[in-house]
Amino acid sequence: MISCENVVKSFNRLEVLKGIDLDVSAGEVVVMIGPSGSGKSTFLRCMNHLETPDSGTITINGSVVEPKESSLNKLRQDIGMVFQQFNLFPHMTVMENIIEAPVLLKKMTKDQAKKKAMELLKKVGLSEKADEYPNRLSGGQKQRVAIARALAMEPKVMLFDEPTSALDPELVGEVLAVMKQLAKEGMTMVVVTHEMGFAKDVADRVLFMDGGVIVEAGSPEDIFEHPKNERTKEFLGHLK
Amino acid sequence: MNEFLSFAVTYLPYLLKGALVTIEIAVVGVIFGSILGIFVGLGRVSKNPLLSQISRFYIWVIRGTPLLLHLFIIHFAIPSVFPSLTMPPFVSACIALSINAAAYIAEIARGAIQSIDKGQMEAARSLGLSSRQAMRRVIIPQAFRRMLPPLGNEFIALIKESSLVSTIALYDLLRTGQQIISSTYRYMEVFFLVGIIYLFLTTIMSFVVRKIENKVGAYE
Ligand SMILES: Nc1ncnc2c1ncn2[C@@H]1O[C@H](COP(=O)(O)OP(=O)(O)OP(=O)(O)O)[C@@H](O)[C@H]1O
Ligand SMILES: [Mg+2]
Repeated sequence: MISCENVVKSFNRLEVLKGIDLDVSAGEVVVMIGPSGSGKSTFLRCMNHLETPDSGTITINGSVVEPKESSLNKLRQDIGMVFQQFNLFPHMTVMENIIEAPVLLKKMTKDQAKKKAMELLKKVGLSEKADEYPNRLSGGQKQRVAIARALAMEPKVMLFDEPTSALDPELVGEVLAVMKQLAKEGMTMVVVTHEMGFAKDVADRVLFMDGGVIVEAGSPEDIFEHPKNERTKEFLGHLK
Repeated sequence: MNEFLSFAVTYLPYLLKGALVTIEIAVVGVIFGSILGIFVGLGRVSKNPLLSQISRFYIWVIRGTPLLLHLFIIHFAIPSVFPSLTMPPFVSACIALSINAAAYIAEIARGAIQSIDKGQMEAARSLGLSSRQAMRRVIIPQAFRRMLPPLGNEFIALIKESSLVSTIALYDLLRTGQQIISSTYRYMEVFFLVGIIYLFLTTIMSFVVRKIENKVGAYE
């Protein structure tokens, strides 16, 4: 589904990604963990070219991503992304947030898009919030809307960058529940999170990133119960 | 006092007619200044180096020279070289004010665009919008709301600065006052009335700006 080969990215002189390889197959849920500054966000953002990698190739569905504006716009329609800070459009209602991209890019009529949006809102448990503005929602509700907005483009892959880190603890559960549901339905997902419970429940694979490389990868049990690498052990020690 | 009141009643209609001219050129200035200013402001934040340099140059020149000079160049200097470009004072005033306001509004627009959280652009791009679509649908509508209060302040500034047009024989509020003085020699009374009318206009506008500010703040 997504395949990254030797992805390198530097900011000024700081090499943030030092050649990362990753294959994610269809329906797989990959969880990325690692210390702050290890390059998790940067790697995720390279996958949909919000950051342009300095070198390396990213292949989606067998076709190599070319760094050309028009093909990138097309590519991004197939890759949903959910941000730590939600990034809902504050000047649009929940409904408008969700239908904006499908109407603009998929040439859907407004009515079709709205019908679809209502289904998605039902799925994330926010049917009654369609006409609210984002500033009237709680953090957990905002994030669920953000997930619905990404899903409205019917992406083949969903990327999540610490989707629950900005939330009050009591709101984390509702967002994770939506993500679990999504995983169960077979969505391909790459998730940066430190929610161990979530990782143990739904991850097919856990990657530990540090210093711009993937230090260790394996099943949740491998990584959390029997880490081999010293750095992984140390990091997990800090988490507990 | 009674005498002053009857003087005021006699000349107020003339002064109000002048005030109408003042309002007209300030409104034209802020509208055309906004249209031009938003383009210059967009140019200023554009990734295209040519566009951004042209915008920067425009802002630099206009903001670095006085409005009175722009007025003289447009009304006297240009027609002295190209007589066909001679214009009535009202038109010259509107052009000068618009060009001048645009430079200030461009900076307002730039500030507003840059104040929009980076995450907004990223979210729009991550959905597949082109940078142009993201600008048009996500960034500019939000930036425009943030521009409204400073635009209101720019309008207030224009009401005051537009008094410079009295120098090119346009009968705005100030010039009308001077005209009344030239036949009555009542400096004190006339300038007092002129001041009151300016103050009235700017106070109303400040009130409107504050209302808009509250409204804009509420949705964010
Ligand atoms: N746009 C940028 N310009 C310069 N440096 C950047 C930029 N984005 C990230 N970096 C740097 O790259 C490094 C990796 O950042 P990244 O955000 O990928 O880490 P992360 O693993 O997601 O960390 P966190 O857990 O804090 O989110 C950091 O040192 C960061 O300061
Ligand atoms: Mg991060």
